[in-house]
Amino acid sequence: MYLSAKNKWLIVILSAAAGFVNGFLGGGGGIVIVSVLLAVMRLDQKKAQATALLVILPLTAVSAAVYLINGNVDWVPTLWASLGVTAGGALGALLLSKLKSNVAKLIFAVVLIAGGIKMFF
Amino acid sequence: MSVFLLILFGFLAGILGGMGMGGGTLLVPLLSFLDLPQKTIQAINLISFLPMCAVALIFHAKNKLICTRHIGWLVVPAIVMAVTGALCADGADNKILRVCFALFLIGVGVWQLAVAVKACVASRRNKRLPVLADEQSDARDITRTK
Repeated sequence: MYLSAKNKWLIVILSAAAGFVNGFLGGGGGIVIVSVLLAVMRLDQKKAQATALLVILPLTAVSAAVYLINGNVDWVPTLWASLGVTAGGALGALLLSKLKSNVAKLIFAVVLIAGGIKMFF
Repeated sequence: MSVFLLILFGFLAGILGGMGMGGGTLLVPLLSFLDLPQKTIQAINLISFLPMCAVALIFHAKNKLICTRHIGWLVVPAIVMAVTGALCADGADNKILRVCFALFLIGVGVWQLAVAVKACVASRRNKRLPVLADEQSDARDITRTK
């Protein structure tokens, strides 16, 4: 896969934006990374979603370290939520190869909008 | 605070996260139902993502879905700006962070909805194409027999 200089700059700018969002809001960078992998690097949907996790892992680790150093971590709820997230993550990884992505995307979009509206109240 | 709700919300968000669909964007609004400060919620989201991501990556690597080529162009700038973002978050008010996250969710939700609807329409059109081709070929056969 060849990347032109223009595409490299585009990737750098969009990845930097994804990193900032992930650090500032504590999540959400993955969606931007998936879009970069799809639109600029021309990966197929499933490979883009899987590869995005590899990109997000180190930047989440450094963001988490900053939150930890600044004393924003409450370990009790964090450990319980981590238990659920890890179990759900294993199931999600198994489902990725079996699910129709369009249907999943529609459901996901509606859930996001509802979640955003709820957060205002 | 309900341990059951924490595990349940984590599980639901984890399913999306494992699929690489942005589980964090779901876990944060779910955790906002519990009485926790926004920065604590964001920290929970970041830390809980780490073991889930490691597990999901093992599955994806086995299924040969990981593409490592040119990945440095994404990882390096993202890490630098992630640290900057996390430092900015520490100085920001919880209410401001919550409003920013809500706006981000709505924006991404509308965008994803548009993409999904477009993809559904395109896939339906592709399914109809062979039918149309068959109809045209039938029409040609009828004219020939006439």
